Amino acid sequence: MRLFTGQRAWVVQRLSALLLLVLILLAMLALPFASPLDFSAWRALAGGALGGPLIALLFGALCAHAWVGMRDIVLDYLQPRGLRLAVLGLITVVLLGVLARVLLSLAMVALAA
Amino acid sequence: MRLNIYRYDPERGDPPRMQAYDVQPEAGDKKLLDLLMRLRVQDDSLSFRRSCREGVCGSDAMNINGRNGLACLTALDGLKEPIVLRPLPGFPVIRDLVVDMTQFFAHYHSIRPWLINDEPLPERERLQTPTERERLDGLYECILCACCSAFCPSYWWNPDKFIGPSGLLQAYRFIADSRDTASAERLDFLDDVYRLYRCRTIMNCTEVCPKGLSPSHAIERIRLALLQRSS
Ligand code: SF4
Ligand code: SF4
Ligand code: FES
Repeated sequence: MRLFTGQRAWVVQRLSALLLLVLILLAMLALPFASPLDFSAWRALAGGALGGPLIALLFGALCAHAWVGMRDIVLDYLQPRGLRLAVLGLITVVLLGVLARVLLSLAMVALAA
Repeated sequence: MRLNIYRYDPERGDPPRMQAYDVQPEAGDKKLLDLLMRLRVQDDSLSFRRSCREGVCGSDAMNINGRNGLACLTALDGLKEPIVLRPLPGFPVIRDLVVDMTQFFAHYHSIRPWLINDEPLPERERLQTPTERERLDGLYECILCACCSAFCPSYWWNPDKFIGPSGLLQAYRFIADSRDTASAERLDFLDDVYRLYRCRTIMNCTEVCPKGLSPSHAIERIRLALLQRSS
């Protein structure tokens, strides 16, 4: 398998951008009506059958989009192989960490509800 | 008219410098190249390439007041003075305005810029319908002047791995050709994070092409062809 794919990454970038656009628009339209947005309201949203998966999707798309973008920057500007792999590794760990943390929280809220 | 021209002669060992010139256009001088030819009479050490003087050979591409263009197609009227001339950005300088195009042509060569068709030869010629022929419009006219590739930030960063707008436009010219039977292999070759996908659709290439072509559009078509193939 090639480490740096051409088309697949490009498709992931476009699809995640589309998802982000739709989800953020949705949030901007829906959230103003959900006031007051206090802790319990957020909690109910995140634990809901619709809210939970949507938030997971949002962060999934965000991390995928960030991964392709950061990878592109690294491929352009960092030429030494070792440095490149180290930075890419670091970015992967951070993004996976963010995603894992979000999913964990969502699962905990859903289980508590 | 005043000009400010990039001078560099590696054999003399001096660092590159900008040299100011004053030269009067004469009746009938319409294009920047006319002025450069007069200048060469004044100073025969000034080097630049030119041949056809009518936008066909692609040899007099240079950076004119910050924008790549062909000296022979650039009207003197409306050029801001001093006219600042530099070699194509991102290309290794051989001398003055003459740059090394080796890598650029190696990319061109890599896309196999010839018709591939192993089917038996027809008795006379391989025919195309008018619609099939029309698909080559806006592609075959490229004169390989490199104005586009030398204006593409992605090509500046990865000139050794990214094919660049000119080569990709040429690649699509053969993918789009109904007589070519190697589209699949051509697409396989291009599906690469460097060769094709370094393009970020900045569209400098389309903006600057002196022949009015649109490499970024051709690149989009290659991506769509790849997408279509894999779906
Ligand atoms: S696409 Fe235009 S700018 Fe680029 S090499 Fe061809 S003619 Fe020159
Ligand atoms: S559209 Fe692509 S090829 Fe054209 S200048 Fe931009 S990055 Fe370069
Ligand atoms: S001299 Fe041939 S393109 Fe300008």
